[in-house]
Amino acid sequence: MSRKTRDNLRAYLFVSPWLISLLVFTAYPMLASFYFSMTRYTVVRPPVWIGLENFQVMFTKDDLFWVAVWNTFYYTFISVPLQMLVALILATLLNQSTRGIGLYRTAFYLPALVPAVVTALLWMLILDPRAGLANAALDAMGLPKLGWMHSVVWSKPSLIIISLWVGVGQPMLIFLAGLKNVPKSLLEAAIIDGANSWQRYWRVVIPLLTPTIFFNLLITLIASFQVFTTAFVATASASGATAAGPLNSMLVYMVHLYRQGFRYSSMGYASAMAVVLFLVLVALTLIVVRSSREWVHYEGAPPR
Amino acid sequence: MGNDVKRNFISRRHFLRLTGMAAGVTVLAACAPSAPSGETGAPTAADGQVSISWWNGFSTPTVQEIAPQIVGDFERMHPNIKVDYEISGGPPGGGNLTEVMLSRIAAGNPPDTITLWDAPSQYGALGALTAIDDLMAQATDATPDAFYENVLNTCKWQGQTYGLPASAAAAGMFFNTDLFAEKGIAMTRDTFPTTWDELRALSDEFTVIENGEVKQAGFMPPWNAAWLYPVWSVLNGSLIFDAANSVYTVNSAENIAWIEYWANWLDGAYGGNFEQINIAGNWGTAYPNENSAFYNQLSSMFADGGWIMTDIDFQFQWEVAKLPYGPTGTKTASGYWPNWFALPKGGVHPNESFLFIEYFCTKGWETWYKAIPDTPAWKGASRDVVTQALIDKVGEERALDLHRFFLDYLEDAAPMWDSPINAFASDTLQTAITSVLGKAKSAQAAMDEAQALIQAKLEETLRAA
Repeated sequence: MSRKTRDNLRAYLFVSPWLISLLVFTAYPMLASFYFSMTRYTVVRPPVWIGLENFQVMFTKDDLFWVAVWNTFYYTFISVPLQMLVALILATLLNQSTRGIGLYRTAFYLPALVPAVVTALLWMLILDPRAGLANAALDAMGLPKLGWMHSVVWSKPSLIIISLWVGVGQPMLIFLAGLKNVPKSLLEAAIIDGANSWQRYWRVVIPLLTPTIFFNLLITLIASFQVFTTAFVATASASGATAAGPLNSMLVYMVHLYRQGFRYSSMGYASAMAVVLFLVLVALTLIVVRSSREWVHYEGAPPR
Repeated sequence: MGNDVKRNFISRRHFLRLTGMAAGVTVLAACAPSAPSGETGAPTAADGQVSISWWNGFSTPTVQEIAPQIVGDFERMHPNIKVDYEISGGPPGGGNLTEVMLSRIAAGNPPDTITLWDAPSQYGALGALTAIDDLMAQATDATPDAFYENVLNTCKWQGQTYGLPASAAAAGMFFNTDLFAEKGIAMTRDTFPTTWDELRALSDEFTVIENGEVKQAGFMPPWNAAWLYPVWSVLNGSLIFDAANSVYTVNSAENIAWIEYWANWLDGAYGGNFEQINIAGNWGTAYPNENSAFYNQLSSMFADGGWIMTDIDFQFQWEVAKLPYGPTGTKTASGYWPNWFALPKGGVHPNESFLFIEYFCTKGWETWYKAIPDTPAWKGASRDVVTQALIDKVGEERALDLHRFFLDYLEDAAPMWDSPINAFASDTLQTAITSVLGKAKSAQAAMDEAQALIQAKLEETLRAA
């Protein structure tokens, strides 16, 4: 065996745990899901091939599927821009050289480390319409109390508020790293050219930050479509163990999928839902990636 | 040289192919059913002792204390059987109890026995449980006629029995006698309203609305307590599910009348703004008690299971009565939420496992009941054994009276938990009912839609079974 072959073997040996785990725990379940989506499968009995029936039922007979789709799109398309904006603002503030800045950075990142179930329960208390802090604050300001998760109108905004608490930490940290990478020489050049602080931020910092924005956007978008724990815990507490908020207003896609798979034992149908979600996420990812050519600027890349 | 290197070189494609094959073999090996443990010799010791496993979802300090006692008593009665049990609140290794159970059944290595909080009828229809009719026929205590009929029916699917109910945990109408006394209303269990009309009239005595907000309620129709829907249906003279004919009757005239009755009640007594009513109080559940309208004396009457007598530390005097019946009903009916014991399909010691669940669901339950007031489902249970925690709260005489009330009320047990798609039906019905109360749909339209969805799901399940 030649040295090069030995080297190659050794390299493959080192990566093989990851490769095997990718194949066994990611690729195989994904392929199995595609297969199960075409079957009637209850876990205990062998799957029975039914072709596209699960998809037909999903699109034409399951009203709650469309409720879940609407709730998830509502949640995603409001929470993702908000998360990005708040994360960017926080990262900008935390990029200052102030005494104790490390403490602030830790404090703002801490919510991301709290388990989602704990966060959901904590926010259930804060948003309780009768005894919660949120309504106490509104009341103190002379504003009307809100129903929060007990209200059809306010239930989804409640979930979005929780998502901000939970979801901002990670993108904030990445934005902070991106901001640290902005070359000071460019900012100094902009100052010499007479740019004010807003112009420096908008014309120099943001363009240089677009690769980071792109990465954060993709990750946050995918995570938002898959929101589950917060919605599951919060909805069960707010409206009875099995409901999904008042008039199903918090029935997000993954909660509906979970109910189908694990509460109703319709694993074939749940797999079909997973396949649809996968395809939607692939399509959205492609759109974002394709659009990135227009707005993401890489340092050193030739001008278009 | 280049050719030599090429001959000995393992290409990426070649390596990935090998890795894929290895992974495939691993997956197939993992999917293969394990050998029955009895054949491996592991659970059956040389001295002939058989080890069986018991999974359950209990983990409270009380259960941690009493479960080992019950198991110990059983093992002393059957020295040849050892029970390996798990009282951490889930299956060994963690995870959701029923999810892991179903996976383990599919993989061929299930636990020998399990405690379920959803009816065996549902899991029996899935093909997940072992039918125990032959074992029951030869049983000493757990014979087919030894349990309250409708409670045992929760374990049946297409004529076969897939588990035993240990408790029935009957439900009743709790009322706050302190609030009644404040209103100058003398009320006892015997004088409590027997019809919905009387209940509503009594409820109105307590109701206070200020600026459209419910400040005090008498009784609030419990739309959040989905588990009691079948009882309300029976109280109005109908059924949600006709198990004998495998047909759902969600949109029967009586059921539509029941939902319209609730909607009219909310309109007439509470202002009809479903969202505002929902915001004003947590009406349908006693948990968490800090939030519960009944616990906080925001409502003076509340329907729930007898377990709240010790679970919740009420700061007021209370009494319990039978549930009143509706305009098209003729008699009261009791609800119940059992703890069920079953043998997952594929267990290797069905006889020993049955002996264990038989003991737990009959004589063994006495030990449980002394600690937790989950009314026994076994008719042979003593009428004189009372939960100690209840005695501590209300005194021996009253505790005995409450015990006998719930026990006797099981004679009126409504048919419930007997559908193979109970969870789906319950969720769909809750969606329908809240859409009516929220004025999104008429009762007729909502119940028609629910009927169509639930019946279609039932037929799909029947085809699959």
